[in-house]
Amino acid sequence: MDQPGNGAEAVSPVPAAALLAALVFAALFVNSVWIVAAIVLTLLAACLRAPRVRRRMYLVTVGVSSGMVFLLWPWLQNTGSHPFWHGPIVPVLGELTVTREELRLAGVYALRFGAVGLASAVYALLLDHDRLLGSASWARRSALAVALATRLVPTLERDAHGLVEALRGRGVETEGVRRRARLLSPLLAGSLERGLNLAEAMEARGYGRAGRTRVPPPAWTRLDCVALAVAPAIVLGALWL
Amino acid sequence: MALARVEHLTFAYPGADQPALEDMSLEIAPGELVALLGATGSGKSTLLRALAGLVPHFHGGRFDGRVVVAGLDTRVTRPAELAGTVATLFQEPEDQVVLTRVLAGVSFGLENLGVRPDAIVPRARDALAAVGAEHLIERAVAELSGGELQRVCLASMLALEPQLLLLDEPSSQLDRDAAEALFEHARARRWAVVVAEQRPELPLEYADRVVFLADGRIVEEVPSEWTDTPFRQVTACHLADEVVRLEDVSFAYNGGPPVLVEESLSVRRGEVVALVGPNGIGKTTLAKLAAGLLAASAGRVLRFGRATYLPQDPGRYLVAETVLDEVALAVGKERARHALARVDLATFADRHPRDLSSGERERLAIACVLAPEPDLLVLDEPTRGVDPKRKLELAALLRGEAATRATLVVTHDRAFATAVADRIEALGTDAVLV
Repeated sequence: MDQPGNGAEAVSPVPAAALLAALVFAALFVNSVWIVAAIVLTLLAACLRAPRVRRRMYLVTVGVSSGMVFLLWPWLQNTGSHPFWHGPIVPVLGELTVTREELRLAGVYALRFGAVGLASAVYALLLDHDRLLGSASWARRSALAVALATRLVPTLERDAHGLVEALRGRGVETEGVRRRARLLSPLLAGSLERGLNLAEAMEARGYGRAGRTRVPPPAWTRLDCVALAVAPAIVLGALWL
Repeated sequence: MALARVEHLTFAYPGADQPALEDMSLEIAPGELVALLGATGSGKSTLLRALAGLVPHFHGGRFDGRVVVAGLDTRVTRPAELAGTVATLFQEPEDQVVLTRVLAGVSFGLENLGVRPDAIVPRARDALAAVGAEHLIERAVAELSGGELQRVCLASMLALEPQLLLLDEPSSQLDRDAAEALFEHARARRWAVVVAEQRPELPLEYADRVVFLADGRIVEEVPSEWTDTPFRQVTACHLADEVVRLEDVSFAYNGGPPVLVEESLSVRRGEVVALVGPNGIGKTTLAKLAAGLLAASAGRVLRFGRATYLPQDPGRYLVAETVLDEVALAVGKERARHALARVDLATFADRHPRDLSSGERERLAIACVLAPEPDLLVLDEPTRGVDPKRKLELAALLRGEAATRATLVVTHDRAFATAVADRIEALGTDAVLV
């Protein structure tokens, strides 16, 4: 995986993407809490290689979302016969109870959610999307759409930072949920304008023309080959378990 | 024989009452450099888009007449097919970068044109070198300053080796060296260039011909404010107390390499100071430190009083539903009306900010930073996209109110700096230029 900005390279983007996909597949198909937890920890370790400022938003989003899944899941189902907690009786819903089985399932689903979120974060933060796109000899339009969509988050982040800075520069308070919410509409309008300008610039530079070539991708390293071999092994292991 | 020919072109954008271009005819010869001048909204960008085929293919609208470039009629040739023959640099460098790394970004157009794979990287490298940006080749575009990004976008165009190069305000964020290198590069290769500019000084030095637009038509006479050196508006100023002092300040973003190392600057009340210097030298960072938007990692910043800061491209950062509400965010409606009147936008008070032209948005943003009546006013590239008439008005406004505050202006616009500043500080040197 590449670390944008410092050029440190470990695994090329294609094997890295295959490895991430295999880990997500395993997290979704394996039922063992411990294995899913191990996958989450692996992805978290990879995510921590990204610069602190950039990774913070992803980690907070994944952490909060997974926590919500864990908290809400036991209330959304009614399984198990080993009560962990007896709650009040609510009209229509009946007695609110949480069983050990529900807690275990909540843990698995929260971890699965976390694994998918962290894999997306690693993809967004650490993979060199240009090289990944360059490797896409087929379905290039789809690959470019994914690459541009991936860039949307940091672009919005930068725009939001610019907005806050511009408002602070005018002496306008920007702290607080209501004040921040006011920024959503201009952010959306700005990203629509940006999208149109980008589409125009792409067309002016020949995008969509027949006979496209590509910069020759660098040769794969031994580590890339290992990663490519490990990815299917992870998938097979997940199916076997 | 002409390389490009515009024949009786009339074009109106979808839903527009008035045409953006009206009965326009023009010929551009191979190797010719045409300076395209005119006020904001006069049709310069639309004409460039018509020459690139983006009008009408990308924008739609009513299109009468004919545009032929290198024998290709733009009505039946898509812009992507014209790419390579024509290369277009748009106004906003931030919106032209498709990929995340500099090399990949410059290679993008070459790949689309089907250039031989082993020739792509050398051509991209040569183009970056031509605009003095070869050292940026491995960088991520997100890390670049506005000026560096502009150079990378220029390199993306030069790499295509077009017969016709269309430049929409290339010097808005470029220093003079890079802009000169660009024109020299085009001239050496005998490429035809059409350059639309609000800062005409450099294009006028290089241009074979000047085309002046007003209300979508070509005008024979070029108004004198476009060709004359701006009148220096500075009169002897009475310097009062110091409003901001930066002592040996250093700064680095997120633990990266230092952007500023032990720079010092002082601005007094009554004084207008222009801060100039090449792209990427840290002018914007120093301005933000002065305004209190960044904290120095070393050194000391002393500020006495309230500061406001106008960022680059402020038209992007408008949040309210009406022009009046936008200015009133920090100061209330009465002072907001007064500030709008100072920038000649009083009649626009009820309009939505995003319905304004880019030049009007720029003036609105200036009203927003004037309204709080700051002790220190920091303006970062305030003349980007502003035509000479409005530029003179801005210079007069800043000079007229100079005594009430300290003013720091970051700019690549030497003519504006000379017209407005008591002192021009060149960052990276100890030179005081005026």
